[in-house]
Amino acid sequence: MTTIDSPARSVGRVRPRPGPRRGTEAVWFAVPFVLLVAIWWLVVEVTGTTARTFPQVTDAIAALAEMAASGDLARHLGASVQRMLIGAVLAVVTAIPFGIALGSSPRLSAFFSPLLRFSVALAGIAWIPIATLWLGYGDRAVIFIVWNAMFFALTYNTVLGVQQIPVQTVRAARSMGTRGPRIVWEVLLPGALPSIVTGLRIGLGYGWRGLVAAEIIATNAGLGYALFLAQSQFDTGVIIASMVIIGVLWLLMDRLMLAPLERRTVERWGMKAVS
Amino acid sequence: MNTLEINGLRKEYVDHYTGETIPAIGEVTFSIGEGEFVSVLGPSGCGKTTVLNIVAGFIDHTAGDVLVHGRSVHGPGPDRGVVFQSHALFPWKTVLGNVTFGLRMKGVPRAQRDVAAADILELVGLSGFERKYPHELSGGMQQRLGLARVLVNEPEVMLMDEPFASIDAQTRRKLQQDLTEIFEKRRPTVFFVTHDIDEAVFLSDRVVVLSHRPSTVAEIIDIELPRPRIWRETVEDPRFREYTHHIEERLGGGEPDAQAG
Repeated sequence: MTTIDSPARSVGRVRPRPGPRRGTEAVWFAVPFVLLVAIWWLVVEVTGTTARTFPQVTDAIAALAEMAASGDLARHLGASVQRMLIGAVLAVVTAIPFGIALGSSPRLSAFFSPLLRFSVALAGIAWIPIATLWLGYGDRAVIFIVWNAMFFALTYNTVLGVQQIPVQTVRAARSMGTRGPRIVWEVLLPGALPSIVTGLRIGLGYGWRGLVAAEIIATNAGLGYALFLAQSQFDTGVIIASMVIIGVLWLLMDRLMLAPLERRTVERWGMKAVS
Repeated sequence: MNTLEINGLRKEYVDHYTGETIPAIGEVTFSIGEGEFVSVLGPSGCGKTTVLNIVAGFIDHTAGDVLVHGRSVHGPGPDRGVVFQSHALFPWKTVLGNVTFGLRMKGVPRAQRDVAAADILELVGLSGFERKYPHELSGGMQQRLGLARVLVNEPEVMLMDEPFASIDAQTRRKLQQDLTEIFEKRRPTVFFVTHDIDEAVFLSDRVVVLSHRPSTVAEIIDIELPRPRIWRETVEDPRFREYTHHIEERLGGGEPDAQAG
């Protein structure tokens, strides 16, 4: 608490960071990757590893270029991203309302919490066999896996988020005439958002891995399927290229969706420490 | 008719471990008139905040009545505005968003809300901070915002729960002075809970002194200090010391609480 009745020091942090600093950050972000590629190139070169075991950097780049040229890359990428999006949207619209309902009722949350924690461990990949039995091989099974992988983590974190809202905050809203479902929109949802964002990050991670695993088994398009196909053809260049794409897409998702969401909400509101 | 009437209020808890019934509020009766500033003072843990929470409608009581303009109170409502010790601002809303929250709930159109907000923010000294978020304000400013958020709704009675207790001494003096000026200008009806004797005497028209648990009203004292009150002048008034000494004695031993005075 400041002694003088004046704005706290954090005022200047609201604005997005200035350009030059973001540039430096991007460089520092890239350095470990550049180093990794350098080591990769060196090790393959020095040990004389053949492409049958592990591709040289140039092989992977060539494989990537070929995938792009043939249209395979666009096809697989499109299939994966579409499934991921549908699964994620389904998870958000089901898990957040469910989590808010559980979080606002101590009895319901006490009843469901052990079940949720149990399910978080099982979510996603372990459901692939049952998903293919129920939904067959194809988009629906993969989407189910993405949804399932995200659902429990997102629900669990939403429950935690609602429970962390100080009772006085809810009371303040009620004493200003906020009634019934409006409490959800005005207080519970924004109040739980720091934890919801955490749940989203964890859930998207599970969902992305679930997607790749499900595509390896349950379909004939997508990045996971590209991995599977390349393995059966001993094409290590395509395998590594696909893995790189999977990783890069995750980073893009994190940087372009989650980070801006966090900056615009919980960071701006000074709520980040809560989660 | 009194704005707020508390008649024979009692509250008992059931201890979850022993199953015993524990009386928290023995019997509390007092009333607050229109435009009156009444402080409820008592030792820590005497149940004064419990009385406020019952009046606010946050918790229910065992026996007795709470009436606002003759209507019995059930649950929280916009007729009773609450200023919390922890300020309980909405961190996801700007200063303006916090101040206009209650009016928005009432369905007041935006243009009207903004005019009312500008007026109140000016009154509490927060003009120019409309676009800031609560975490960007100092503790004192946060509590001014907590006050503005309630004042703007013009509730029938304002309930203030030790609003300055967690604010440093220097800022607290300033806030007490400002609250007095705001009160003298607008004359809201105020139910103010505190354990600070000087604060209670300086701010109030009447002070309700509660006993230890289970709390009962030990005494109600009319504070006949002239208004407008200015901290420096008012504390030098011999009657100010008479009141505070009297209350200290009443509370037993002159040390009702570490933070008194």
